Amino acid sequence: MVNVKNDLPPRWPIWLLRKFLRPQYVEEIEGDLEERFVDDTERYSLNKAKRQFIWQSLKLMRPALIRMIGGTQNLNNIGMFKNNFKTILRIIGREKMYTAINVIGLTAGISVALLMLSYVHFELSYESSNPKSDRMTRITIDYMDGSSLIDQDAESYHLLGPMMKAEFPEVEEFTRAYRMSEAVLKVDESSFRAARVFAVDHSFLSLFSYSLMQGNEKTALTNPNEMILTESAAQRYFGTTDIVGKTIWTSVTNSELKVVGVTTDSPANSHLKFDILFSYSTMKQKLEERESPWNSNDTFTYVLLTEADKYDTFSASIDKLSKRLEAEEKIENERVIGQKMQDIHLYSHKSYEAEAGGNATIVYFLFLVALLVIIIAIVNYINLATAKSMDRAKEVGIRKVIGSTNNQLKVRFFIESLVINGMASSFSLITIYLLLPGFKAMAGLPKDFTLFDKGLFWLVFSGAIVISTLVGGSFPAFILSSFKPVAVLKGKFAHSSGGILLRKSLVVFQFSIAIFLLIQTFTSSKQLEYMQAKDLGLNSEQVVVVHAPPTRSEMVNFKLFRDELLNNSSFKSVALSTTVPGQPTSMMGSTTGINLINAVEEHNFNFFIYFTDDRYIPAMQLELLAGQNFGKGVYEQDVIVNEEAIKLWGFTDPSEAINQKINFWGDDRTIIGVLKNFHQTGVKEGYIPMIFRYGNFGDYVSIRTGAGDIISQLSQIESLYNEHFDSPFEFFFLDQKFDEHFKSDQQFQTVFSALSIFALLITCLGLLGLSSYTVAKRKKEIGVRKVLGASVSQVIALISKDFLWLIGIATLIALPITYYIVGNWLNSYSYRIDISFWLFAGPAIVVFLVALTTISSRTLSISKMNPVNSLRDE
Amino acid sequence: MKKNKLGEFQELVLMSVVILQENAYGNEIERYLEKCLQERQSMGAIQTALKRMEEKGYLTSKWGEVTQKRGGKRKRIYTATPMGVKVLRDMRDLRTQMWSAMPDMAIGGEW
Repeated sequence: MVNVKNDLPPRWPIWLLRKFLRPQYVEEIEGDLEERFVDDTERYSLNKAKRQFIWQSLKLMRPALIRMIGGTQNLNNIGMFKNNFKTILRIIGREKMYTAINVIGLTAGISVALLMLSYVHFELSYESSNPKSDRMTRITIDYMDGSSLIDQDAESYHLLGPMMKAEFPEVEEFTRAYRMSEAVLKVDESSFRAARVFAVDHSFLSLFSYSLMQGNEKTALTNPNEMILTESAAQRYFGTTDIVGKTIWTSVTNSELKVVGVTTDSPANSHLKFDILFSYSTMKQKLEERESPWNSNDTFTYVLLTEADKYDTFSASIDKLSKRLEAEEKIENERVIGQKMQDIHLYSHKSYEAEAGGNATIVYFLFLVALLVIIIAIVNYINLATAKSMDRAKEVGIRKVIGSTNNQLKVRFFIESLVINGMASSFSLITIYLLLPGFKAMAGLPKDFTLFDKGLFWLVFSGAIVISTLVGGSFPAFILSSFKPVAVLKGKFAHSSGGILLRKSLVVFQFSIAIFLLIQTFTSSKQLEYMQAKDLGLNSEQVVVVHAPPTRSEMVNFKLFRDELLNNSSFKSVALSTTVPGQPTSMMGSTTGINLINAVEEHNFNFFIYFTDDRYIPAMQLELLAGQNFGKGVYEQDVIVNEEAIKLWGFTDPSEAINQKINFWGDDRTIIGVLKNFHQTGVKEGYIPMIFRYGNFGDYVSIRTGAGDIISQLSQIESLYNEHFDSPFEFFFLDQKFDEHFKSDQQFQTVFSALSIFALLITCLGLLGLSSYTVAKRKKEIGVRKVLGASVSQVIALISKDFLWLIGIATLIALPITYYIVGNWLNSYSYRIDISFWLFAGPAIVVFLVALTTISSRTLSISKMNPVNSLRDE
Repeated sequence: MKKNKLGEFQELVLMSVVILQENAYGNEIERYLEKCLQERQSMGAIQTALKRMEEKGYLTSKWGEVTQKRGGKRKRIYTATPMGVKVLRDMRDLRTQMWSAMPDMAIGGEW
């Protein structure tokens, strides 16, 4: 049989074998391998035979079979290894400061980088716990005004899912999740509030890959009035997970629902987290009671594609469907858009998201910074090692004369790098272990997040050791092993200008990064301060917001509750509304297609709808620019709008808008007041156009309290609440809700400050090493200068000059790049600070001062020394 | 005894070498062991065992024939040295001795 070319085994394993196996074994083993390969091709498929071949060759890499590094004279090599280790340990012991700087720098660098990478990994891991997520697509709606995009909605029409499954061959299954506003549950005698409640199709469990711990997976959620709970919800409400068959009364349905299952908790890295799932058919009737299914898009819809690469086909199908629906006048000024589920967390910032998403730019940015920090640490190592090269030259010279080859010397320096990095890595494991709890809180990672059980962590960890050992070791290895022994031993060894240039450019590189990080930190803290100080347009202090009871029957008592509260002089006002400022937009309804009755040109803007009673505006201390609050007269036909809304309709003066009529879902409504803009959703998002309608109902009771003991005020509110309502009492402070909006910025800010301080510290650590080395080298020169009359400050200036010069260059390089990046970053905020001179000059000066302090700390002791001592040496 | 210790796998390989005689080279040993143990063996494991035993002096080897299957590379034929055979015998004797010391119930049919 003659081998056809295709039937040949892969070549690279053979190359590897020839390279690594002991030469005397190669022929035999290679022959065996090829023979076995021929056997395998008869036994298995060609591919499997090839895989076997590769696998078998890799398994041949065993200590008994591979050659020792650097040759086959094993005995000699082991001796060299021992000798190398001994001298390395001696150096480590002798040069304590040099070792400490290296180890501390690398420890800090590796720990910080690994912590950051774990955060980045968590953010990137969204939906990864669902094996089907690569085939899952969410159906969303874009609001259009002509061809321009007005807003994007994460939810869609509940008919779209079934429609797509019926019409598109690439859709295997769909599931819908209809989000309830929060539900009150009654279990036996106690009642609870559940925040994350969804009505879902039966297919939800399999599409989102949840399994039931209790109950029948095949039938769960197929019938109306069924619910399943997560494990922790079951524990919370019942104290056990053995609850299948029990019933729970819910405020959403005002009826008893049967528990048909208990599922595992939603993973922390899933964008759709829930506590309770109702069967979709429970809500079906409510959804179908609407005049037209095409009036409300308020359901999350997910479809499972038959294959992940069907996404493009699917997009084209939706596009066609969208056009058809528009032609059939089912939708107007809208388009249906598919969105890959894996993109939701980091890339989707639509309104009505199930959960506020992350930010891809920030995640990648932090990834980059983590890498920069570790690079800075490695650069320190390289710099110190090459600076030390002159001291080491003699050792290298002697070793060469004795007969070391270049390769042996290289190995020697790599081992040295390995020892230092190994020490640093062990320390960094301890550091990470100690820092992790704090870091989790700082970065907003879930509490049960751990690193040490993840294979990936250990892979990256060992990768970090290998790479930093190789990169850190390579410069000294190549530079030092290239010294000419005779020249060195004769003392003719000159300063290697290449080494000095390398060192200088690396210092410049480190400081550029440090300056950039510091400016970014400085800017983001200023920006955060600015946002927090910004006038909200309302008075959020001393407002307690209480969750209103969810059922109509309980709300009968609301008037009594309110009046009794107001009888107490501690409470200034009590107002009712469907949402309160500081809540996400998902708490409001929104609508498009509202125009002035006599509009010249109709537009399709997205307005947010707010229901309040007549006490809300004074209670929140909102300012009316024109017109009046809801008062006497026919509330039903009155609306109050905000500045942002009248801007869209083309009014510049608020008073012009008063008494104008708008077409609100077919009815005429009169604008009776215009509110000054206030921040409804938080400062970052900017103002949104809002329409206020009168309603003596709502989910929130806002109570403005006067001065006094807040604890006793709260307990008064609570006892009154419990007197009048059955639902559990829950409250929050309005100003705290606003602060939550800064949580992600604050987290970014803290993480980033920590990073940049680390970067600066590591950089300065390197500088400390370099400057003390320089000082030690120039000890004699300093002595001579002092004898000749130089002052301490002149000496410090002499030494610092070289380094400060480098930092100056670093600043010049960092500034334009930083200006660009920081400018871009600021642009992502609706309200932002201006880039000013001090924003840049401040951090640069800080870096200069820190560097100067670092250098002088070493220089000072020597320049103060009596020159006699330094000159007497030798 | 202590000095001539042999791992279980090494013992199997050594026995295969004795059994296969003139045909005892890497792949043939693997085939034989696969037949006996009902499991494929990795070349790395067999080669390591061979090399280790050769170092200890239980085996000697010489170059063998060339076949086309092997891409022109020679086989290496292994032969057990008298010391190797002695170690095998020692192992067997040790086992026999220990089996005879086992209480009856342990080797009874019920087990």
